[in-house]
Amino acid sequence: MSDKRRQLEEQGLDLVPIMNLVTILIPFLLMSAQFVNLAVIDSMLPAIVESEPVEEKPDEEKLDLKVMINDKGFTVAGADKILPEEAGENGRVVPCHEDGCPTPESYDVASLTDRLALIKDQHEDEENVVLVPDSSVSYEVIIRTMDATRDDQDDRDSDNRPRRLFPNVVLAGGVK
Amino acid sequence: MAKKKVSRRGGGTEELNITSMMDMMTIILVFLLKSYSTDDVSVAPSDDLQIPVSTSLKSPKLAVNVIVTATQIMVDGEPVLEMEEYTDESGRARSRVPASAMRGQNIPDLLERLEQKREKAEGIGQRVGDNEAGFQGEILLQAHKELPYEVIRSVMFTAGQAQFSQFRFVVIKGNG
Repeated sequence: MSDKRRQLEEQGLDLVPIMNLVTILIPFLLMSAQFVNLAVIDSMLPAIVESEPVEEKPDEEKLDLKVMINDKGFTVAGADKILPEEAGENGRVVPCHEDGCPTPESYDVASLTDRLALIKDQHEDEENVVLVPDSSVSYEVIIRTMDATRDDQDDRDSDNRPRRLFPNVVLAGGVK
Repeated sequence: MAKKKVSRRGGGTEELNITSMMDMMTIILVFLLKSYSTDDVSVAPSDDLQIPVSTSLKSPKLAVNVIVTATQIMVDGEPVLEMEEYTDESGRARSRVPASAMRGQNIPDLLERLEQKREKAEGIGQRVGDNEAGFQGEILLQAHKELPYEVIRSVMFTAGQAQFSQFRFVVIKGNG
């Protein structure tokens, strides 16, 4: 009895079947592994958005918020009544950090978010914004602008969710 | 212990110790399980296709995949059109759709391919008799981050001509 037991102890655990299993599992998992997390930003074509029936509110002025993107920075239009009072003549222009906006990082998206948050304070129900980029503006800048107009990352509620600004984004034709 | 084993067997060949390999495999297995993903959408980032980073949290859904890299346009993995490279005023290398492949804002080759996709989806929808299985007019757009807006605009315009109206810009989920 004791001899048998000693023999069992000395044999140890046979790991080979587990090895086989793991070796098969690894290629399978490698195939379906994804190392970048993807997300999407929804956008409608302008023509389709306009053709949707819109409830007319004659008493209330439509905001029709636009953000122009060019080599000088951002220009916020459609909110003339709010911005100039707050920040003088240049309240609607958000200039770049560097002249001529050479890199996507030079666009001042943080200031743009601040300006839009001011507009959102006055128009709580408005959710639409139209982006009007120049032809030469790179795609990355457009995505950054969409981030800046969608929500305010610095202004979070008790659940740590960012404040929603204008989530319905539409890209317009732009100028040559 | 191993030595003991060997000596008892009368100096036979020593067995491979696979315990350390098992340890390694277990760690790899856990890592791969963690990055396991069942997302419908996958991207293969390369030098020609660098997807911009965004704070968006919306997860991607399956739709017609339009990929615009710095060198070509693809629809569901099949190449449609080669892009033309040029140098802009500031000396940066950029890409555009060659003028010969454009008719105004329209890209006829892309339009043809997208219309085929639409007809196919509509056919399936009719056969199944379920609107949800049919044509939804959705496009997943993966674009290189340095592309100028004029390229994105032409692609969106062409997609609009083929009655695709809902755009989803694929982005990499940032830390936001």
